[in-house]
Amino acid sequence: MIFKVAWRNIWRAKVRSFIVIGSIAVGIWAGLLIIGFSFGMNNERTASAIGTTTGHAQIHHEDFDAEPLSTAVVADSSTVVALRKTVEALPFVSGTAQRTVLGGMINSTKSARAVRIMGIWPEEERVQTTLADYMVEGDFFEAAGRNRLVIGEKLAKRLGLKLRSKVVLTFQDSEGNLSRASFRISGIYKTLNATWDEFHLYVHHQDLEKTLGAPLVHEVLVRFEETVDTEEKAGALAAAIPAGLAVKSWKQVRPELGFADDMMAIMLVLVLGIIMMALLFGIINNMLMAILERRRELGMLMAVGMNKRKLFLMILVETLMLGFVGGPIGIFLGDLSTRAMMRIGIDLSSKQDGLAELGVQSIIYPEIVPSYYLIIAVMVITTALIASILPAIKALKLNPVEAIRGH
Amino acid sequence: MSKPVIEVKNLEKVYKGAVPVHAVNGISLTITQGEFTALKGPSGCGKTTLLNMLGGLDQPTSGSIAIGGVDITTLSENALIDFRLRNIGFVFQAYNLIPVLSAKENVSFIMLLQDRPKEEREARAQQLLEAVGLKGKEDKRPGQLSGGQQQRVAVARALASKPQFVLADEPTANLDSQSTANLLDIMEQLNKEEGMTFVFATHDDRVLKKARRIISIEDGKVLSDD
Repeated sequence: MIFKVAWRNIWRAKVRSFIVIGSIAVGIWAGLLIIGFSFGMNNERTASAIGTTTGHAQIHHEDFDAEPLSTAVVADSSTVVALRKTVEALPFVSGTAQRTVLGGMINSTKSARAVRIMGIWPEEERVQTTLADYMVEGDFFEAAGRNRLVIGEKLAKRLGLKLRSKVVLTFQDSEGNLSRASFRISGIYKTLNATWDEFHLYVHHQDLEKTLGAPLVHEVLVRFEETVDTEEKAGALAAAIPAGLAVKSWKQVRPELGFADDMMAIMLVLVLGIIMMALLFGIINNMLMAILERRRELGMLMAVGMNKRKLFLMILVETLMLGFVGGPIGIFLGDLSTRAMMRIGIDLSSKQDGLAELGVQSIIYPEIVPSYYLIIAVMVITTALIASILPAIKALKLNPVEAIRGH
Repeated sequence: MSKPVIEVKNLEKVYKGAVPVHAVNGISLTITQGEFTALKGPSGCGKTTLLNMLGGLDQPTSGSIAIGGVDITTLSENALIDFRLRNIGFVFQAYNLIPVLSAKENVSFIMLLQDRPKEEREARAQQLLEAVGLKGKEDKRPGQLSGGQQQRVAVARALASKPQFVLADEPTANLDSQSTANLLDIMEQLNKEEGMTFVFATHDDRVLKKARRIISIEDGKVLSDD
């Protein structure tokens, strides 16, 4: 009957209860939308980075990361083939691609910039990455030709380059000596990551080999079947390859993406915390009002023998019920809204350039994150529990004789 | 001879302040089972303070109050709450029913606090409501009942816990003549037929006419005991 009393008590002041329940529902709804939006944006950025450039993991010579010299190769060509077979045999690996990676300079008639030259095997690259989908001009090594170069749009603009412009690349050869070779722009790409576009350019590995003298493999890109548990998978990958080589997960290759994930998790907890804090004060205020209005009744209950434990329980149940009504409504609305947004997307075209700097598309598609539903449910219950303490203490401190008289 | 239900000895209640007020000043009295007693006196004479102390709602400055042989002044706060629940019935001037519960639920609620089984609660609540003349009104909420009917529910509630006695503080103060007469008839009937002890704090002549014992109080002392 205590539950019945608590439930009916909620509806004694309908307007006030509706406002509190509405606040809880709106708070949770907003929280879920923010979560969906944040995850959608972050996961899209991560998926984009993994898909277009990074892969889920990369294998390098163990010295490569300290100083990416041209001599720090993974292995000779035949050993790389065997290595890739070993890696591709792992159950969670969907494919691999190899790359020559050289630090160098690009010179145009207008300017020069430090760049990272990616010597690729285009057929593999097209299978293992989606970079070919981000061409804004020209093609991604589909047409025949020698010394062709694919450059990021942002870098091309900085250097005043257009399609078919001629440039000179300076880089280390296999002996560590500086070499030069001229290339012609055959394609201009624009990924979601403007920073990447400004620093990386792509050439056919064969064109580099003419200068390098031999195919040099500095990097083996590894794609996993799914983007989950990538750290564990990277660990398993490291255990499967020979000593002297190092495996880096996408979070290590692009630490800013991992930091963004961590930051997002912290920010979401903070945002939810702020929402819950606001709800906390709303609920406390509501319950204090209820206690004030019902002090005669509470005094009577204490006088006739309702012990403190039961009185506390009654107020606790009443407070929790506010959360139990508002919580599911908020979760339902949040889920409904997020699903709708998942279909139509949130168009932020007006902030396109800024979002591109963050590696994000201008239309964000929120994601449903079921684990956060549980977190929110726990937070609402905890908030209601905390909110019940002060009103319950107030009630317990009532003097029955004075309360019955309405003092 | 009936056994004593309430035994008060040298009871004093002093409210401290710049000038200490002796609200109850050395009262001793005994109330036996089956009494229909009224405490009367002018406002501020100390009758409500005495009633509150008899009900364990207020602690005396000195003296003792034994209810059914138990000195309630020595009980801890929690023990006293439980003692009130099981031994004392209360009827208040302003009825103080729970507005969100029906008449029957209001009566049952006390038994719920006593952890009595549902069947017993239902049956006794029904029986008590019938005894106070509210058959057919069981599902009405207090707001749907007249003042007299609400006070009758309060009497049924007071009896629900099977107390040793019922304390009623100005139970008729908010009632019209007809409702007062009905209520007093019911309480007198319960007193005579079931031997329930009633102690009233009142200055209502209608109650005093029905009372078989009237204790007059003035300045915190018993002036007369008839």
